[in-house]
Amino acid sequence: MILTPEHRAIGRRNFLRALAGTPAMAALHSVARIEPVRDGPVRIGFIGVGGQGRVLLGRVNPAVGQVVAVADINPDSLTKAAAVLAERGRPDATPYLDPRGMLQHENIEAVIVAVPLWAHADTVVQCFDAGKHVLCEKMMAWDVDGCRRMMQAARTSGKVFEIGYQRHYNPIYIAAYDGIIKRMLLGDVHHVRLAWHRNENWRRPGGPPSPDYDASQWGYPTFEHLWNWRLYFRYSRGLFAELASHQLNAANWFLNASPHSVIASGGVHRFKDGRESFDHEYAIWEYPDGLTATFSSVESNAFDERYEAFFGTKATLIIYNEAEALLFDEGSGTSTRIEMSDTAGGAAAEASETKPAASRSSRLTSSRVPDSDQRASATEAEISRFCAAIRRSGVVACGAERAFESARACIAAHDAIVRETKITIT
Amino acid sequence: MQATPHAFARRTLLRFDVAPLWRRQGWLRLSRRAMACQFEVVLPQDAVDDLAPAAEAFDEVGQIERRLSVFLERSEISAINRVAASDAVISSVEVFGLLDRCRELSAATGGAFDITTTPLSRCWGFLQHQGRVPDVSDIDAARQRVGMNRLLLDRATRGVRFTAPGMEVNLGAVGKGYALDRMAATLRRKGISTALLSAGASSLLAMGGSGNGWTIDVTSPRRDGRIARIQLRDGALGTSGAGEQFIVADGRRYGHVIDPRTGWPASGALSASVIADSAEMADALSTAFLVGGATLAHRYCTGHPNTLALITSEASPHRTFTIGHYRGAFVEN
Repeated sequence: MILTPEHRAIGRRNFLRALAGTPAMAALHSVARIEPVRDGPVRIGFIGVGGQGRVLLGRVNPAVGQVVAVADINPDSLTKAAAVLAERGRPDATPYLDPRGMLQHENIEAVIVAVPLWAHADTVVQCFDAGKHVLCEKMMAWDVDGCRRMMQAARTSGKVFEIGYQRHYNPIYIAAYDGIIKRMLLGDVHHVRLAWHRNENWRRPGGPPSPDYDASQWGYPTFEHLWNWRLYFRYSRGLFAELASHQLNAANWFLNASPHSVIASGGVHRFKDGRESFDHEYAIWEYPDGLTATFSSVESNAFDERYEAFFGTKATLIIYNEAEALLFDEGSGTSTRIEMSDTAGGAAAEASETKPAASRSSRLTSSRVPDSDQRASATEAEISRFCAAIRRSGVVACGAERAFESARACIAAHDAIVRETKITIT
Repeated sequence: MQATPHAFARRTLLRFDVAPLWRRQGWLRLSRRAMACQFEVVLPQDAVDDLAPAAEAFDEVGQIERRLSVFLERSEISAINRVAASDAVISSVEVFGLLDRCRELSAATGGAFDITTTPLSRCWGFLQHQGRVPDVSDIDAARQRVGMNRLLLDRATRGVRFTAPGMEVNLGAVGKGYALDRMAATLRRKGISTALLSAGASSLLAMGGSGNGWTIDVTSPRRDGRIARIQLRDGALGTSGAGEQFIVADGRRYGHVIDPRTGWPASGALSASVIADSAEMADALSTAFLVGGATLAHRYCTGHPNTLALITSEASPHRTFTIGHYRGAFVEN
């Protein structure tokens, strides 16, 4: 989406103004209020402490959760996980190569699962069978059958089950939902545009933890297949699962609907290095009542960044990079923007002589909250809410049912490319 | 002492009623572009109820700009500049008040502060962003159109008159500060007592603040590190310098702030910051002290208690003089 900085500023101000004086404005800041764990922090085990697992590991608030054990089939990941805990001054967690050993020997109440997609279903079902609460990274599972097995196991166990869609815990999304969507300020929405554009190679460089490491015992013919599992169909559903499912899940939430069919296109157009997962993917999901959502993800250009745009008959809502919300309606004018900033450096402001507008402007741009901070905080809120649900309410923000809807829509989109046909989502 | 169950429950609740993740540390920053810079209101991060009134306060800046800007043809100041050399212009209470206060301040600073220097700035090319060292005769000619003594203000009628053709007034040295004062008044009316307002970094106004107040770092593009860290409660900070806008000719550097007493760019001070009760005053005095240097600052602050100046000289840019005192300010050089 091509918007000038001024246009974006107008959109931010409109969003703020629409929220002003409503409870949604308070939601911008109060959603993460955590008052959990009357009986002490939840004892947590991790299964999968690769890149994303370690992000989650570093975001466990010790007031609500204590990581007592971590499991990963890659010993290098265990070493890095120990460093993450040490950096934050957290107690050591017992490392396991085999997650089954962790479930068997450790006194844990909950498991956070961040393994490759194809292993979600089996891993999560094992956890429920062992009587654990589960927070599983998205997407829910590699196939619809896996999703259903997970949900059945959760129901049977009666334990808390959440899928890691951080947008549900991001105050900007919550404020947008409460202050814009629920108040129907957009009018009738017939089109949603989802985009996640990057100019980078998804392939990760890296080697095995030792020359004699045998990945085959874990179902991977080579270490490369384990390390770059996202690039192979057997383990991954590609960009639809890893990127689109985040955005489609948010769209379904905002529109309180799920798509019934999808057509899609894509291919390996840039990185022809033997991978199977497409580096360019496009999908059109059809919903009831004349609503259509489109998605594009390209790995050859990042100009369009990452956004979800909801086009209504009265207004347009755009959420950029999980960090800023813009609202445009007829005749919008002046521009006030709102940001949250941290206290780094201790000073609330810097004073100096008058600077020309251009240099001042660039300083402000750089002072914006990096979107990584926003996502990090949402992740922390997600884990904290999960722990609170275990101790008290049992209620999580996204929930398995919604996660299932977006998962099967993304799985269907993948099938639509492979089978070159329109897929009805069942 | 043994805790009662009730006390225990309360303590437990407190223990886990952690500050919401979003407000744990930090501020809410609202900003809007106006007067060719960025206006900003900083609020404590939990002051969500103050967001809407703060956003509304920006609207006032727009209105002020429409009255005061020399860049807007329909502004009151533009009308004065067009007409006042031939006829007295009956000005608004607001504009007359500003002009009158500027005249008083000019007198109090021995002419170092002057809102009529536009012909000199034009002569030096700073207005056109084409700086040059003019001929001395051009400077002398421009000086004939400059001077607060050539600005006649009639309090009875609020009439504004120039005594020389080609004169212009420009409130650029006080306009942003004045706007901040007005914004602060609006916020106070709306019940907001804690906020940090700023306009383009050169004008700041601190309302309330926890502990010793708001922490502000004073910097200059002409030296590394900060000039000072200031804790400020209920006061305003204005800063002037010529580190960003200047020309270099024949190996000499000429800043954009003109000394109205000589017609040449001010020299000697690298940066001048002033803390005063109002942002308008702080802005104006920082310009005056950049022109008049530490000598003027000493003289002024001695006669005007509750005014504090930080003067950094060009000769020793890593030494800053703190002059005077302000009751709500703690300065750490």
